[in-house]
Amino acid sequence: MDVPKDYLYTNSHEWIRMEDRIATIGITDFAQSQLSDVTFVELPSTGDQVAAGDEVAVVESVKAATDVYSPVTGAVAEINERLVEHPEIINDDPYGDGWMFKIELAEPKEVDQLLDAEAYENSLPAG
Amino acid sequence: MKGYAVYFDQPVPYARAERIQDALVSARIAESIPDTVLFLEHTPVVTLGRRRREEHLLVAPGELQAAGIELYPSTRGGDVTYHAPGQLVLYPILRLGVQDHDAHGYLWNLEEIAIRTCADFGVPAERVPGKSGAWTVAGKIAAIGFHLKRWVTVHGMSFNVDLDLDGYRHIVPCGLHGDPVCSLQSLLGDEAPSVREVRRRMKDHFEAICGRRLDLCSPDQLPGSLARIWPEE
Repeated sequence: MDVPKDYLYTNSHEWIRMEDRIATIGITDFAQSQLSDVTFVELPSTGDQVAAGDEVAVVESVKAATDVYSPVTGAVAEINERLVEHPEIINDDPYGDGWMFKIELAEPKEVDQLLDAEAYENSLPAG
Repeated sequence: MKGYAVYFDQPVPYARAERIQDALVSARIAESIPDTVLFLEHTPVVTLGRRRREEHLLVAPGELQAAGIELYPSTRGGDVTYHAPGQLVLYPILRLGVQDHDAHGYLWNLEEIAIRTCADFGVPAERVPGKSGAWTVAGKIAAIGFHLKRWVTVHGMSFNVDLDLDGYRHIVPCGLHGDPVCSLQSLLGDEAPSVREVRRRMKDHFEAICGRRLDLCSPDQLPGSLARIWPEE
C-alpha cells in the first residue's frame, strides 16, 4: 500500500499535505482500495467553516459510501471540482490529482496531532 | 462480544428506520452500545440514494402516492430502490474492527448471508461480477447498499421474501436496466417461507459469517444500552 513519506495522515484514512497555512486533503491509497471503483463524490463548498473531525465529504463506490472527515479546523479554500465529473481520479491518483479539498488552517497547532507516514502505515491491517 | 438483533414485527416507515440507525451509529462510534442488527420490513417506499438518478424513477411522484408508495430521498449509497412488506431488510450497525477494516469483505459477507439463506430454501443463488447483491436464475433477490461512518456500517441489505413485485415497475432498481427482480415466493410459490422463518435463518447465517453472537430483542423490550439512545416515535 502506497504511503508517501512527506504527507500526514489520520486514522480515518485521510491524507494531508501542508503548504504554509493551506492543507490539501484527500483519501489514502488504502481508503480508495477499500472502496474500489469510486462513482460519486460529494464535496464541501468553498468558504465553508469546518472543525477538525467534521463530516465534510462523501465518497461512494458501487455499493459502499464512506464519509470523509476534515482533519483540521478552518475554512474551505478550494475544492477539486474535476472529481464531480471524474470521480475515478480518486482511484487512479489518490495522492495527486485525486485531492479533494483545501483548508486554510485556523489552528495550525492541530497539525501536530496528525500521524506521520510511519505511524499511519503501522495502523493499517497487515497484508 | 455479544451484540443485539432487534426484530420488528410491524412494518417500519423508512424515515423512522433512518432515525433509529442514526442514533445507533452515533452510539456505536462512541462505544456506548455493542454491534446491533435491525431486522425489519418497511412500509411501501421508493428511496433515492445519494447518487439518485431521477430518470430511474419511471413514474411521476404523484403516481407513487396514488399507489400508496412513499418517495424518500435517503443518505444511503446507491441509486433507486423499492421496499415494502414481504421484503426482509437487514441493517447491521457494526464496527468493523481495526483488523477487518475491509469494505470488500463486508460486502462479500452480506452477499454470503443472502446466498446461504436462499440455499436453506433450495434456491441456488450467486454473485454476479460487477454487480452487488445475490442473484438467482430469475433475477436479483437481494440488494445491498451500505455506508461507512468511521468504520461503523449503516444501511445494509434487502431480501425479497414475498412482497408484491409489482412495486418495482415504478423504478429501474439500482439503475440496472433489464435486470429482473424476484422473490422466494416468485420462485417457490406456495412453498415459500414466511418473513419470520427467513429472518431466523438469516440471523443464524449472520452470526456464523460475521462472527458475532446476537441476543434477540424487540423495540418494545430493549436492553438498557439501546433503550437509552433509542429515538422517540
